[in-house]
Amino acid sequence: MAPVNQELVDLFIARAEAVAAQVQRLPNMAAALQYAVDVCARKAPCELLADEDVEKGPDGPNKVPTRVQKILAAPDLPDADFAALAEACAAQGFACRRDGLRNHLAGIDVGLTTARLGVAASGTCLTVGDNEDTRLAGMISETHILILRASEIYPDLPSIAGQLRDRMAERPGSYTVFITGPSRTADIERVSAVGVHGPLELHIVLLEDAHV
Amino acid sequence: MSNSEKLGSESGYHKDIDSALEDSFLRRTLDTFAVAYRANREAIFKEVDERGLIRQIADAKDDACRHMEELYTQFRAEAEKRGVIVHRAATAADANEIIARIARENNVKYVIKSKSMTAEEIHLNTRLEADGLVVDETDLGEWIIQLRHEGPSHMVMPAIHLSRQQVADDFAKATGDPQDTDVQRLVKVARVQLRRKYLRADMGVSGCNFAVAENGSVSTVTNEGNAEMVTTLPRVHVVLAGLDKLVPTLDVALTALQVLPRNATAQRLTSYVTFMDGAGDCAASPTGKKIMHVVFLDNGRTEIAKDPIFSQIFRCVRCGACANVCPVFRLVGGHRMGYVYIGAIGLILTYFYHGQDKARILSQNCIGCEACKNVCAGGIDLPRLIREIRARLVEKNGAGLPMSLLSSVMKNRKMFHNLIKFASFAQRPFTGTGRDNVSYLRHLPAIFLGKHQYKALPAIAAESFRDRWARIKPVLREPRMRIALFSGCAQDFIFPDQLEAFVKLMTALNVDVDFPLNQTCCGLPLDVMGQRATAIEVAQQNVDAFAHKKYDAIVTLCASCASHIRNVYPEILENSPYRHQAETLVQSIQPFSAFLHDTLGVTAEDFNQSGESVTFHAPCHLCRGCGVTDAPRELIAQAANYVPCEEEDVCCGFGGSYSMKFPEVAAQLLENKLKNVQATGASRLVTDCPGCVLQIRGGAEKKGLPVRVSHIVELMAENVRSRN
Ligand code: SF4
Ligand code: SF4
Repeated sequence: MAPVNQELVDLFIARAEAVAAQVQRLPNMAAALQYAVDVCARKAPCELLADEDVEKGPDGPNKVPTRVQKILAAPDLPDADFAALAEACAAQGFACRRDGLRNHLAGIDVGLTTARLGVAASGTCLTVGDNEDTRLAGMISETHILILRASEIYPDLPSIAGQLRDRMAERPGSYTVFITGPSRTADIERVSAVGVHGPLELHIVLLEDAHV
Repeated sequence: MSNSEKLGSESGYHKDIDSALEDSFLRRTLDTFAVAYRANREAIFKEVDERGLIRQIADAKDDACRHMEELYTQFRAEAEKRGVIVHRAATAADANEIIARIARENNVKYVIKSKSMTAEEIHLNTRLEADGLVVDETDLGEWIIQLRHEGPSHMVMPAIHLSRQQVADDFAKATGDPQDTDVQRLVKVARVQLRRKYLRADMGVSGCNFAVAENGSVSTVTNEGNAEMVTTLPRVHVVLAGLDKLVPTLDVALTALQVLPRNATAQRLTSYVTFMDGAGDCAASPTGKKIMHVVFLDNGRTEIAKDPIFSQIFRCVRCGACANVCPVFRLVGGHRMGYVYIGAIGLILTYFYHGQDKARILSQNCIGCEACKNVCAGGIDLPRLIREIRARLVEKNGAGLPMSLLSSVMKNRKMFHNLIKFASFAQRPFTGTGRDNVSYLRHLPAIFLGKHQYKALPAIAAESFRDRWARIKPVLREPRMRIALFSGCAQDFIFPDQLEAFVKLMTALNVDVDFPLNQTCCGLPLDVMGQRATAIEVAQQNVDAFAHKKYDAIVTLCASCASHIRNVYPEILENSPYRHQAETLVQSIQPFSAFLHDTLGVTAEDFNQSGESVTFHAPCHLCRGCGVTDAPRELIAQAANYVPCEEEDVCCGFGGSYSMKFPEVAAQLLENKLKNVQATGASRLVTDCPGCVLQIRGGAEKKGLPVRVSHIVELMAENVRSRN
């Protein structure tokens, strides 16, 4: 386990916040899971951007129906963590999904996934999307929460070339995404707007405890 | 009229420019953008070694270009190992056929696309729609222009020419519901509308920012995340990539990623950068694996890769910065500053990918200010390549009678100079005196001026500098330095007083000046008009004129001449017998302010402080062409009170023959310049190039602005304290 480099962590936080990511420093996985459940509880129910055979609530801000039962998806969590999360979700009445996200392409409330590493210079997270459900959790959720170990933050893009190479070689057909803030556009009159396709919000949970 | 038709006719193109200049929304948008971009870009580059990174990208891409075939072979092998089918299309039509066939073989009905300039290059949508396929763009800007059946007006912001009102109207039509004009709301309309389109699509087409040979991966760079949707949801994924997108390693891609977003939108990194390495899991596919194809487009690229001059265009990472800083783009917008590809690189790529017919007029619409070259992520010498295209077009098609006539006159220095003398005599009935005793062409009937009436045109001097020389040449007993003067045509024949001021200043500073009389036009106006052969001829005459004596320095008061001699002579004389002889002139030539400030090292002690408030215009060829930025400002402060001006280094619109070809654009550039100058409240503006003096003074005179415009040499000469 690499030691935490406080300077890099501070820079990472500043740069991630500069692109509207919400960074949260938490002591351990249990706290991270609780955080995800809290975020899901606080947020307005997800809008259904396409047809889905599911119970529908009143129209959301974009004049489409909303989900009655919120969905939190966490496809790449280890078994024990997922079990703990599922239990917390059940207590709140949320559906907790580990797979089958193609059935919910109309949109889900929260996607919780883990980041391999962070890049301080740009506040970027490197994520592994080989598994389709993991990838979708970060794309079709209204709020995407990434868990990143504070000890896995590196200075800049060139400094992670080797790790990127090794990561891509883990299997044929790999899908690797650098994420820097939520989905955004400035295509209409150069006015910045978030959430044109992907998440409306990006949260990054920085884990002080390196034992994920 | 379609964009392509407009580019075919001179009058159609000018009409189109006029309507762009009258489009107040477009003007306001591009003005705000230009100013904001400049500041944001500067701030975001402070964190990295800009020049070093650009150099690294240039070297890596040049290397990739030299090894394009090997990289292609390697990419193909690596990608095939990972279940990807790789194609190579010789032409645009071939690429379209391949993609149409993939759609057919996979029973595709709905195609979804993320942004790809290469797909625009080959007009892929048109081809797929001809097969009855439904094609939807997902990049917000691309979707908007698709709804309007338009082409992009910028490579990164395709819909920058449209207002929220126009977008709201288009969305209202597309959805059947009225839409309000709040941008946040409009963006969400796209969110709702496009999600359904992703879901129904059976094939996704994406562009490619990097095709990485070492592991056969492709990379996309987006802010919206649409590329992730397009490459994930449908069962088929087709990547369309120009062969120029091949890079050897991930390291090269990561280096370029430090510049691309910074240059494109002043971001440290875009929201999403994706690396797809092989055909991955896909639940929508019957096999459970994505059906993945990569189509490499040649369309002339292997030929360009072999071209010693043009191969550098493959350093382009499509950041769009060359448009963002272009003063012409800022005025006329992308639809007039390119065909599919926009901006400086657009003028060049149009010639290669879309043919001479479309490039003929387009390639003229560059004022040569070098702003693009200064910011290009790949360090491409864009203005040079634009001149090179003009030269090739002239070589192929000839230049028309007036041009050829001019060219033959210029070859003969005596004939050229006699002709100017005749003109000076012939214009006499038309001249008049303006303020400060400056003589202008006053009484020309308006019909001769037409669109050129926006500025007062100076008269040719009654006596040129070369005719005065024998009379005024000073004799110094123990000069501290011996230099030669390269006058350039504008000062020799229109502003000889500026040169006299120079001689006076040098005498006061005890510097001996020589003026070799065999010198002639530096050749820049010829080269920008594509008259390469004559440009070479006059360059050789000048090399010869300065070869007979040794000087401590050769100084010119024309920044354009300095930049042309320093930067272009080595290029155009590369294969000339004068190549070695030219080195002395090329290495000794100095623009005035650099010579005075850096070489002579004058200080405030050398001048009286006039107390006058003086602002500055940085000539393109001085600040970018010769890299001289601080010297003139410090000089002004030595003799007067220097008042900075907004956008000091933005082109004034002179551009030599450009202002004759595109007076409507030149007039607007001047208008902006004068507005900024007026806002300084300074009573005087100085600059270090006679062309800029001509332009700005002419504009100030026409408008009756209370600003005296002069060459910086005049300010310095007026206030010098004599050493003798
Ligand atoms: S040299 Fe100036 S005018 Fe020409 S393309 Fe570049 S930025 Fe535009
Ligand atoms: S030519 Fe240079 S500045 Fe223009 S888009 Fe290409 S990389 Fe960017």
